[in-house]
Amino acid sequence: MSGSGPGRPAEVAEWLAHPFDGFLGSRGPCAAAAVRPRRGGAGRARGQQQQQRAPSPAAAKSRAAAPRRKRAKPGAADPPCIQALEELPWVERYRPKSQNDLAVQKKKIEEVETWLKTHIFQRQPKQGGSVLLLTGPPGCGKTATLQILARDLGLQVQEWTNPLSLDFTKEDLRNMFGHDSNFHTFPSQAQAALFQDFLLRANKYNKLQMLGESSENDKKLILIEDIPNQFYRDPGSLHEILRSFVRRSRCPLVFIISDNFSGDSNQRSLFPTEIVEELCICNISFKPIAPTNMMKVLNRIAAAEASMNRENYTLDRSSLELLCRGCSGDIRSAINSLQFSSAKGCSLEKEFWSKKKKSSTIKCDETGVSKVRKKSKCDTSEDQEIQAIGGKDASIFLFHALGKIIYCKREAVSEAECPQLPAHLSGHRRDTLLIQPEEIVEKSHMSGNMFNLYLHQNYVDFFSDIDDIVRASDYLSTADVLCSNWSARLVMESYSASVATRGVIHSNTSRAFAHQQGGMGFRPLHKPQWFLINKKYQENCIAAKSLFSSFCLPPECLQTELLPYLAMLANPMRNQAQIAFIQDVGRLPLKRHFGRLQLEALGDKDPGLPELSHGDGDPEGLPSSQSSGSDLPSSQPQPVAAQALLEEEELRIEEYDSD
Amino acid sequence: MSLWADKHRPGALGRLDFHREQAARLRNLVQCGDFPHLLVYGPSGAGKKTRIMCLLRELYGAGVEKLRIEHQSITAPSKKKIEISTIASNYHLEVNPSDAGNNDRVVIQELLKTVAQSQQLETSTQRDFKVVLLTEVDKLTKDAQHALRRTMEKYMATCRLILCCNSMSKIIGPIQSRCLAVRVPAPSIEDICHVLSSVCKKEGLTLPQELAQRIAEKSGRNLRKALLMCESCRVQQYPFTADQDIPEMDWEIYLRETANAIVGQQTPQRLLEVRGRLYELLTHCIPPEIIMKGLLTELLNNCDGQLKGEVAQMAAFYEHRLQLGSKAIYHLEAFVAKFMAIYKKFMEDGLDDIMF
Repeated sequence: MSGSGPGRPAEVAEWLAHPFDGFLGSRGPCAAAAVRPRRGGAGRARGQQQQQRAPSPAAAKSRAAAPRRKRAKPGAADPPCIQALEELPWVERYRPKSQNDLAVQKKKIEEVETWLKTHIFQRQPKQGGSVLLLTGPPGCGKTATLQILARDLGLQVQEWTNPLSLDFTKEDLRNMFGHDSNFHTFPSQAQAALFQDFLLRANKYNKLQMLGESSENDKKLILIEDIPNQFYRDPGSLHEILRSFVRRSRCPLVFIISDNFSGDSNQRSLFPTEIVEELCICNISFKPIAPTNMMKVLNRIAAAEASMNRENYTLDRSSLELLCRGCSGDIRSAINSLQFSSAKGCSLEKEFWSKKKKSSTIKCDETGVSKVRKKSKCDTSEDQEIQAIGGKDASIFLFHALGKIIYCKREAVSEAECPQLPAHLSGHRRDTLLIQPEEIVEKSHMSGNMFNLYLHQNYVDFFSDIDDIVRASDYLSTADVLCSNWSARLVMESYSASVATRGVIHSNTSRAFAHQQGGMGFRPLHKPQWFLINKKYQENCIAAKSLFSSFCLPPECLQTELLPYLAMLANPMRNQAQIAFIQDVGRLPLKRHFGRLQLEALGDKDPGLPELSHGDGDPEGLPSSQSSGSDLPSSQPQPVAAQALLEEEELRIEEYDSD
Repeated sequence: MSLWADKHRPGALGRLDFHREQAARLRNLVQCGDFPHLLVYGPSGAGKKTRIMCLLRELYGAGVEKLRIEHQSITAPSKKKIEISTIASNYHLEVNPSDAGNNDRVVIQELLKTVAQSQQLETSTQRDFKVVLLTEVDKLTKDAQHALRRTMEKYMATCRLILCCNSMSKIIGPIQSRCLAVRVPAPSIEDICHVLSSVCKKEGLTLPQELAQRIAEKSGRNLRKALLMCESCRVQQYPFTADQDIPEMDWEIYLRETANAIVGQQTPQRLLEVRGRLYELLTHCIPPEIIMKGLLTELLNNCDGQLKGEVAQMAAFYEHRLQLGSKAIYHLEAFVAKFMAIYKKFMEDGLDDIMF
């Protein structure tokens, strides 16, 4: 909503005419840019703004006219506003108006509703502010849900919008408004300070009473979708602000953050688990819109368009399904592409098409996009087609990618369809795979090597026969060898991932046929330990070399002969660091029962890459026998007493239950 | 107080405990005044380094025992800084080029150049060459070995090389032919017993002959290991008894337990446990090759003679892959899984035979 700032003179004029202009005068532009009160139903206002920014020339033309008219009555049947509505993107026109319209899972809506109710209406007087975090992929209805709920519950929503960029200096402003204007008070504060100021004000003051708006309710919530850039660089400052907010505030604060598929997720950096726990932040995570719900909405829109609109070409059911699949749960993009494809296939063109068709079939490629789609519906390149039209590149979280490989869905084939394998190969008979392993690896945004590691960490749990494991582990080993030559690694990596994934899938005979799919149950997935282990190995080797260089031994002798025996000898010539290291590395936890390594579970939305950058060797995945070796002992000599403590801790490693 | 293995290390060729004939030959070689490049090879713990140091002492006198550890940093052509530590006296320089990993070629070239370019000052009283001792030459990359070949010829006038390695098979032919190969075989059991007794006598301890024999056998003819074992026996119990336990290294015990776990049960769950144990070994600085070898030894002890051939073959196969690949755990695990399958099948077949 950058439009709210005095960006261009024209917009400023528009602003002044706007009913909210009281803010400009009373609080100065800082607050005007920041505090933007809106009623529950004011999703409209937002819609207009978005529409003003919409690139479509038609929408731009009607910019001035649209807001007023629409405010009057947004009913589809109202004749005077049809014209205005027509100019709107469908995403705005068919914005959900009630909870029933929402394509979001009912459970999620309820979850948000309960949270809002408990934290607004049943709030104890002394209770501080509370924070809600809505996450989910883009276009899954996070904002819409919140807006509708706020309206239904009669809440005011105050939303933070990032103010003008800060390199927009006072000078620029003065030039723009003339030297005599008294804009000299424009603050050049940092965004973070503005944000804090906004929270304070939003918390303290109610919005101004607008003409004709009733004020039966002064309950409100603060919504933050734009997060000041400063906080990405320094999440600590956000946490400070939040802490003081939670202590003092009276109204709930809602953050809406879209998931990010590639590596660093904003949610993780801005709201690490410590802070979530400390401030009791409630995180409600939205799923992509389910295809059935999406179909309902698309059908409704298509029907509404068809009934209202004579000329638009309506898509048939199968095209809608294609759209549904292509947009990977993003309803905004689905509606956009629906509008796009309907507009293309307008009736005029259709006639043109049908006439031309008889004479030449070559032109068919250039005519209506939806035509091509319809034609190629039975084509094998269906998926490609979707990608070409309005669809987006689907990406999947590593968690789901691994799940798809490991649980490999299959489709039963009838005996007649496929040629029978000869008897000696009958062990290799499998039902048709429903997934494309290579595609999944690609969609997980991860290098093949890394994906293999994840697969390796997790595959064993899903196998029941040791012979299957032999094959799978052999494939994984082959995949590693394929990648061994570093100069060819880039090329070979995809082959290696293909070998590994297909190898693991094919090897698992217990999931060879469609009817064997069930009965697996949920098993947790884990992050690979290899990096940690390997890092520790290297570190320990270097430490050994540097600490015991006086022995002049080759590393192998040092590590496998000298160190273990030194651990047994009482040899007083060594310093503390050496003693600590020897005890740590030379000794192994010899127990009759097997302590299993503690594994780090792989979460639903965790980025795949291990955080080695700030991994200060914290041996999370290691039993405590290793924990003192994390930093090079030379830098940090450890007293022997600490070792004794560690030894005690070691006993607490959970025993393996061998059933 | 230093370790027995260091404290009682013989300091002169004349005082070496075994392979005396070879020591006499080496002395003759030195007394001739000049000698070719040497390639000393033999198993670990056979006394290669001891022999070389004795030789150097014979050459230069007691001055070679004043050692200092230096950290040198060498800039590779790619502007990458390589840190390497060397052990040097006034007369010689010892370096393990394989510490530098892939950059060993640069290390060899640069170090040899700096050493060889400076002449000895007093050639009248001293030898007119320095000695560079390269250890673990068999771990060098082919690239570095070829660089070494060229450098060897170039600086023959000012420096001699002594190469030290476990096996000659990984050294390229040209280097082998440019060096005088000196094989230091592992000491015999009697040799080790003799050394152990004499060391104990020097320490003022009495060592029963039977215990010495047992230690010698257990050490696998590795003298360093035998001395370490003996010393840890001393810590454990003194006076010695003939039948006392000889302490084993933790990782060996751990590896044996791992092998027992593999033999005990052949299920995916057990494989996961074994994976955890392999990780544990790795974090305790046990190189993957050693793990593979140790595991094979233990497994061979545990399985039927009929399977041994196949198991050994599988171990060789996956060890080769381990050398080729980058992540050892894949290959170790594949070997374990393979053994489990072979063993399980064998056991099931055996059961069937009994049943019918």
